[in-house]
Amino acid sequence: CDIFKGSPNLDTLLGKDLGALRDIVINANPAQPPLTLLVLHSLLCQRYRVLSTVHVHSSVSSVPPQLLSCLGPKHADSYARHMFQLGFTLIWKDVPKLEMKFSVRNMCPIEGEANVARFLFKLLAPYPSDPVLATLVDGWVDTAFFQLADGSTKERAAVLRALNSALGRGPWLSGPEFSLADIACYCCVMQTGSASSAATNVQRWIKSCENLVHFGPAKVLLK
Amino acid sequence: MTKEEVNGATEEEQHAQSKKALKKQQKEAEKAAKKAEKQAKLAAEQQSADEDDFAKDRYGLPAMVQSQEKLDRALVRVQDLTPEKADQLIWLRARVHTSRAKGKQCFLVLRQQQFNVQALVAVGDRASKQMVKFAANITKESIVDVEAVVRKVEQKIESCSQQDVELHIERIFVISQAEPRLPLQLEDAVRPDGEGEEEGRATVNQDTRLDNRVIDLRTTTSQAIFRLQSGVCQLFRDTLTKKGFVEIQTPKIISAASEGGANVFTVSYFKSSAYLAQSPQLYKQMCICADFDKVFCVGPVFRAEDSNTHRHLTEFVGLDIEMAFNYHYHEVIDSITDTMVQIFKGLRDNFQTEIQTVNKQFPSEPFKFLEPTLRLEYTEALAMLREAGVEMGDEDDLSTPNEKLLGRLVKEKYDTDFYVLDKYPLAVRPFYTMPDPNNPKYSNSYDMFMRGEEILSGAQRVHDAQLLTERALHHQIDLEKIKSYIDSFRYGAPPHGGGGIGLERVCMLYLGLHNVRQTSMFPRDPKRLTP
Repeated sequence: CDIFKGSPNLDTLLGKDLGALRDIVINANPAQPPLTLLVLHSLLCQRYRVLSTVHVHSSVSSVPPQLLSCLGPKHADSYARHMFQLGFTLIWKDVPKLEMKFSVRNMCPIEGEANVARFLFKLLAPYPSDPVLATLVDGWVDTAFFQLADGSTKERAAVLRALNSALGRGPWLSGPEFSLADIACYCCVMQTGSASSAATNVQRWIKSCENLVHFGPAKVLLK
Repeated sequence: MTKEEVNGATEEEQHAQSKKALKKQQKEAEKAAKKAEKQAKLAAEQQSADEDDFAKDRYGLPAMVQSQEKLDRALVRVQDLTPEKADQLIWLRARVHTSRAKGKQCFLVLRQQQFNVQALVAVGDRASKQMVKFAANITKESIVDVEAVVRKVEQKIESCSQQDVELHIERIFVISQAEPRLPLQLEDAVRPDGEGEEEGRATVNQDTRLDNRVIDLRTTTSQAIFRLQSGVCQLFRDTLTKKGFVEIQTPKIISAASEGGANVFTVSYFKSSAYLAQSPQLYKQMCICADFDKVFCVGPVFRAEDSNTHRHLTEFVGLDIEMAFNYHYHEVIDSITDTMVQIFKGLRDNFQTEIQTVNKQFPSEPFKFLEPTLRLEYTEALAMLREAGVEMGDEDDLSTPNEKLLGRLVKEKYDTDFYVLDKYPLAVRPFYTMPDPNNPKYSNSYDMFMRGEEILSGAQRVHDAQLLTERALHHQIDLEKIKSYIDSFRYGAPPHGGGGIGLERVCMLYLGLHNVRQTSMFPRDPKRLTP
């Protein structure tokens, strides 16, 4: 069940095919597992042939086993890298901020889970063509990371109220379609443990999110 | 001086020469006379001194140790001299690293391997004036036996490894005297590059170091390097033994070259000639055919390449692995990379002091790696290089500059100094390399890199006698010469693969050093056969 319409073309999104695996490298600190990226990874796997690997960098001495298996079991073809369209290489590393490296010659490293999430999401579905809606999605992503994840109790309560009223107007945060806004807000609500105190619309929306199998990997780490 | 007549140019020259010689003789005679006088004076002084020296049994030059007595005396290690030993009277054997006399006292720095401690002889009821003088005159690098009291110090002694205590010497005997002039000064040999220039101090160039290797090996840096190297061997053995490998010994005098005949040493062997082994390759494989399943070998390997580079030696220590696998040669890669990671982790966790010591003289970034090890395919490497503007054919081998550039690109993206490059073009690999079943242009072979330099070359080997014959013919190899090798696969041979690492290169690259001679105790290259 593909929840996204349209089919983005990797060549137009990521540049000319050079006949080799396009490998996305994500450096994440094991103290802060990037839940949104795990959800996006699961969605990417549905769309593309993704070679997923988890490494531990020498700057980190040990990593809990659930972080080593967070991208799911090894693909049966993983010995042949050239058979995949996309590489998703997660490295547990002692970094102050999550970062993504893709084309090291043409792109600077992308910092911050929110920005990496935006990049990955565009591989799945184009942003809404309506600029207002697109900005709304971006706004929710910022709200999730700055006010939910990093905010005070007061700020968090305010965001939950805003979520509740937004979700009263439609099934998903940016209206009729499931978007990155939902992924980011869901992960941050769950990570901060504010789900139980949320109002009815939020509760209903949490259930709808969880009905999508792609939230499974993130839920495992929340336990 | 007498005036002499000048008759001819040649005679003049002769005269001049004999004049010079005469002068020289005279001077030498004067010198000898002076020396004799000095010695006589010294002896006289010594004698008069000896007469009223109350401490004359407490120092001196004892008879050479010829094992004439078995003293029941415990010698304490310098590294064990800690505040817990304060106020104890101990014996110690060490080298005189430096000595500095100041009136009625003499400070010595006593060194044992990479550790050193400050010691003091001062005129008092234990030591006489003559004893202090004797201590001050002991030549650098002499080995002494010392009886001393350990004393805590108020202020840390920054220049020594034992910073919290010093030794108050009560007895000092010279066990082995060093000649007064050293071919190189140890302090000069450990000075970081560039630092000497600023202060106008001497540094020692590499050839001088290697010519006087025994002294150079005493420096803290060399001590640390070779302790770490021993650690690499130990970790290699321990890890593989734990994985069920068997250590084997293979002959180094062989009848046929294993990797092309160009870079092989020929030795005369009675009425014919033989070669020095370029790798234990063929023997490792024969052991696999003989059901040893997983083997490794640590021993000398010879390469007659006339290349004078920072990373080539003509004799080095090879760490070789060969193993039978079940279905895919990646089982071998995983086994080797895991071994390497265990070595890196072992060094990171147990050899920090040594790493820091080497870093003081040769600063470098700490070695970074991933677990599990990153594996890239050759086509990916080509794509990365092409993206960086390198023009290369699909089946071209990596040149050394491209290898280094690729190392930098991989480091930039993955931040690892160690990775595997898989699926090399078949054309650039030896005849016994297994071709890739899906693409005959490629092969089941791999290289491993540390800091962008190749340290291991390996592959799945052809274990089928017929295919092996075909591949050998394709490489125009004389089948007669490798008959026994091919024959070993005729009677059932398991699929297998392996690889070989150069110990010196691994140490050099792990520590971020720039020349493989620094990690070879007695290096051999096209221009050096001694010491």
